[in-house]
Amino acid sequence: MAAFPDEAWFKDYQARVNQDKELSVIGNWFSTRFSITIDQARRVMVVEKGQITQVIMAPKFDSRPAFGFQAPMSIWAKFLTPNPPPLYNDFFAMLMRVPDFVLEGDGLVAMQNARALQRLMNLMRKEAA
Amino acid sequence: MSRIEPITGRYVNVDVNGEPHRIFYEEAGQGTPLICLHTAGADSRQWRHLLNDPDVTNRFRVLAFDLPYHGRSTPPDQWWLRKYQLTAQGYADVIRAFWQALGLVKPVVMGCSMGGAIVLKVAVDYQKELTGIVGLESAAFAPGRYNEFLHHPAIHGGELCASYTMGLCAPTTPESNKRENWWYYAQGGPGVYAGDVYFYSFDWDGRESIKTIDTQKCKVSLLTGEYDYSATPAMSEEVAASIAGSRYTLMKGMGHFPMVEDYPGLKRYLMPELQGMLA
Repeated sequence: MAAFPDEAWFKDYQARVNQDKELSVIGNWFSTRFSITIDQARRVMVVEKGQITQVIMAPKFDSRPAFGFQAPMSIWAKFLTPNPPPLYNDFFAMLMRVPDFVLEGDGLVAMQNARALQRLMNLMRKEAA
Repeated sequence: MSRIEPITGRYVNVDVNGEPHRIFYEEAGQGTPLICLHTAGADSRQWRHLLNDPDVTNRFRVLAFDLPYHGRSTPPDQWWLRKYQLTAQGYADVIRAFWQALGLVKPVVMGCSMGGAIVLKVAVDYQKELTGIVGLESAAFAPGRYNEFLHHPAIHGGELCASYTMGLCAPTTPESNKRENWWYYAQGGPGVYAGDVYFYSFDWDGRESIKTIDTQKCKVSLLTGEYDYSATPAMSEEVAASIAGSRYTLMKGMGHFPMVEDYPGLKRYLMPELQGMLA
């Protein structure tokens, strides 16, 4: 079974995002790179028009994410549970109330894409609507 | 199947501190006036389920109005020459002007989020004129919601405000209800949510004043959603601890917008409080 943040998990996630009906409607302007950092592990999502075209599993200094979310595994684990506990149910909630969940890089790019980004992040939970 | 709802919408022209305003309100029912205050950056549509509920409207005249700059209430003249920033005093003045203009006697005032904050000030200032207040998602001090991106030339403010606030819903909220509230938020005027959050994040601090609320004169009911990370249950508990005789209940599985997120869920908690207002 694929476990976060293994490569198999990200392949499942990529497929889930790329098959998502809502992102096909709202994602046309969502083209960027962003990172997800789990403890010392880092992944970079390459997003083109709301689709994840590539997951860079071992990014080097030329991967150039515009922004990223960084948190310990314990925080990601709460966010990823099907019914996450209060304060962990949305990235905006964690940005406000979970100090170790950090938005790094250019927050402007993240917020310009907030609608599609929120959908994409919530799809990290398999049960997202 | 077609159905006409029992809600009527009207406009009232009212002076607030000598300045004329044209305020839109919806109403339904008969009985004790129940004034309902929408959340920051939203409008009276959030109360449509309550306005359509005969269990409430058989006993209450429910009135939900749009604050100036919100929904169908136009901003005051010369609005383009001033930055919209709501203040606690200005907000309370509009609420009182509304109930005076309509001749409402001993109303119950219920508000959610920033409305849940201002009902506390309304109770402090006008407790002899009220039957009581119902605070949904109430906090006496709530810094932290403001950020510069909420009104920024490089960002679609409607989409950001709507998405920013959708995260305040509980994970079990029915999807269509979350999206309905998202839509209301996306229709807010430029800078209006940010201007409301100015009140909520910077101008509002009722931690001392709320201790003067006398629940023998003005009943106080507080209901807060388990998933509210803006006005957290702990913050509402602090409010309750400061007001002797107040009632506080945690709403399990609920977020920041109970009246639009999950009205049947809210109703379970709200009806005993409304019944208590009539006792």
